[in-house]
Amino acid sequence: MYSNLTINYDEYIKKFDSCVSKYIPKINEWTPTDYAVYGPKDLFKVPLKDATELQFNAIKYQFKRHYEHNKIYNNFCKDMNVVPDDIKTYENLDRIPLIPNEFYKDYPAGRDFALWLANIFTGDIPNIKINGKNPSFDDVINAFNASGLAVSYSSGTSGRHTFIPRDMRSFYISEYSAAKNVVSMIYPLWDYNMHGYLLMPNPFKTNVFAGKVCTIYYDTIKQVNVAIDREINTELIKLSMTGGKGLKTKLIKSSLKRMNIKMVDNIISWLEKNDKEKNKIAFVGAPYILYLVTNKLKEEGRTFNFADRGAVGTGGGWKVQENTRMPLTSFRKQVEDILGIKHEHCLDIYGMVEGNSWLTQCPEGHYLHIPITYIHPLVLDKDFRPMGFNEVGRYAFLDGSTFSYPGFIISGDQVRMLEHCPVCDRPGPVLEPEVTRASGKEMRGCAEEIRKMISDDVKE
Amino acid sequence: MTSLREMKDKGYIPQKMQIKLFLGGGISLSKTLLLNMGDLKKLRVMHNNAERYVRPIRQYDIPTFNNNMRYCESNEKFLRPTLYCNPLEPEVIALADKLGAFKKSDQEFAEAAFHFVKEKMILEIITINEVGETFRRGTGTCFHLITAFIALCRCAGIKARYKMFAMNMIKAWYEATVEADPLVKKWYDSMGYFMIEGEGEAYIDGKWVVAHVGAEAERQAAAGIPITKFGEDSIGNWFSAIPGTIMISESIPYGFGTATKLIKKIAPGSIERVNISIQKQIARGRKIIEDAGGENAYDKMTRMQRGAQMPKLDIKLRKEIIFEE
Repeated sequence: MYSNLTINYDEYIKKFDSCVSKYIPKINEWTPTDYAVYGPKDLFKVPLKDATELQFNAIKYQFKRHYEHNKIYNNFCKDMNVVPDDIKTYENLDRIPLIPNEFYKDYPAGRDFALWLANIFTGDIPNIKINGKNPSFDDVINAFNASGLAVSYSSGTSGRHTFIPRDMRSFYISEYSAAKNVVSMIYPLWDYNMHGYLLMPNPFKTNVFAGKVCTIYYDTIKQVNVAIDREINTELIKLSMTGGKGLKTKLIKSSLKRMNIKMVDNIISWLEKNDKEKNKIAFVGAPYILYLVTNKLKEEGRTFNFADRGAVGTGGGWKVQENTRMPLTSFRKQVEDILGIKHEHCLDIYGMVEGNSWLTQCPEGHYLHIPITYIHPLVLDKDFRPMGFNEVGRYAFLDGSTFSYPGFIISGDQVRMLEHCPVCDRPGPVLEPEVTRASGKEMRGCAEEIRKMISDDVKE
Repeated sequence: MTSLREMKDKGYIPQKMQIKLFLGGGISLSKTLLLNMGDLKKLRVMHNNAERYVRPIRQYDIPTFNNNMRYCESNEKFLRPTLYCNPLEPEVIALADKLGAFKKSDQEFAEAAFHFVKEKMILEIITINEVGETFRRGTGTCFHLITAFIALCRCAGIKARYKMFAMNMIKAWYEATVEADPLVKKWYDSMGYFMIEGEGEAYIDGKWVVAHVGAEAERQAAAGIPITKFGEDSIGNWFSAIPGTIMISESIPYGFGTATKLIKKIAPGSIERVNISIQKQIARGRKIIEDAGGENAYDKMTRMQRGAQMPKLDIKLRKEIIFEE
């Protein structure tokens, strides 16, 4: 049975913080970044003036660190004629040089990959032993992570990953803010005694960022089941996402297919059990898995009623199952119709491996709220100049929370930013809920799509 | 007779990645051809009323070689002759002399060689040949042009080498060199990338400096990208390297020209159509540069518009990274 419905917010978030205390540094070690991330009780309700001050201090602090301790970024700033002393006011933040996300996608292989990771890292790294003459990407990442770092990567359309070298401090910030954002938004539904289902790979068996960042789920919820409980590495992703052929690929794809069918059945059994026991439940992860589950239940004409005792937090996109994409509103409706989980408890999160920010939908309007105490969001025009609100352009951000690499990034996504949420009263700008890929000026993404399409035609 | 040891040392034997790419390209090409025999039949020849490719006139004079011209004759790695790249050929020595070999600093000479090859030599898809012949003709694939740059540098006593990689290309370049012929398009699309692209690198003041000489200013203008300078990489500008495929080599390896030789034999019409398209792209770019007020004005304008610059990667050894066998 569940409780918690009348808890006040301060007590609610205190309970949350006590579950995740290992993620929070001791207060005497706090930097401007920590004040911006861990200080506010609700990151989305900080008055604009205070949020702006926290944001400026965190970003300026990190900009100075990266300028002084990252040779590549230091040279980049010098090329752009910007030094830390130039950042005197909030308005000056727009001068901080932004790194296009493509930068983190061009890397060498083998031993050079290890050196690449070490060179893009800000500050000192521990001693890292790399075995073998020609180590794979996974070998190198595992060696870094065995030395106390948290290197992770994107799933990568067509298998081209974005690799980001985080230290544990930066990684903990990312995990903490992802969890806290959702917990804040679904207040007062979260409860440590909930039963959770992670619709992602087991975070302890993967370095895919969207999966790995979910280790905190195990600290915030007592009992967690996981949908994909096998090791997921770059090789497996490459085989499953590209049109590779050969016996190995066929075997893996067939095994994945079997696993997917079993996964859906397991989740349905889990739903039945929790429905019977009247437990509170929380799904976190890839929407397509829940989409498969609700589809199967729909086919069987079955429904559940988890109203007021169920929550869904989705993220990670629909990359593999792009052809089954549906608008978020339809997805929420299907979840509500089949599982009874209210649409205000079905929230999408927008984040990426290059940043620590997790933009989170508000329950009232499902607009994506930005944690502006440490994120300075920007929308850029085609010449990469900042635009005003309400314009559609390339999403970019200054992330004041990354210690191990400069989180000043131009993303590959197209968004529209509004000055204020049109529905709720949380302060600060928001993004419209549906984020799309920017039409690439480089061939990489589109070419890959065209290639797949045409090569299929050729096959015919 | 070249010994096996020398072959290995000079990089004549293809690296593992090169073999992988050759094989991948070969299989993909065979598949494309087998599945498109009808297209092949149509496209392998140029029809009577079709536009024909006319090789552009060479844009420079080659001075007559004489014994007073200085050159570097060395057996040192990156200075010695390698496959298709003999820096001691008379045309190479004469042109290196004209460009200021042994009179200019290494940086100045390499820049002069870069500008000469990039601006005076023209891209033409053609089978691989010795560097002297390339200079006499004045055209070649990017590998002919890189070889020309490397030969000039080595002749002037500057170490030079190849940097090769598999790549995706920007859309504008794709349109001119791939979409121009349906068969080439199908081949490219079935692979996702051309087999191998390359750049030259010259060793100047203790550093390898990149030189992508394969794209004339006009072709870059037609693609809407800045006119790259000596030291600017093509990767990230109009190519993106497929991760893990960047290879450094002293020489073009054995078997390198096979793919172009093969496609030239099987589908000469396709090659001709691509070459026609390249010429059109050059003409279009020339107009763009004229309209912008010259190369410098065009370059300045494009760089300003680009905005999003990339940090330059300078990978150095780190003592904390310990490699173990």
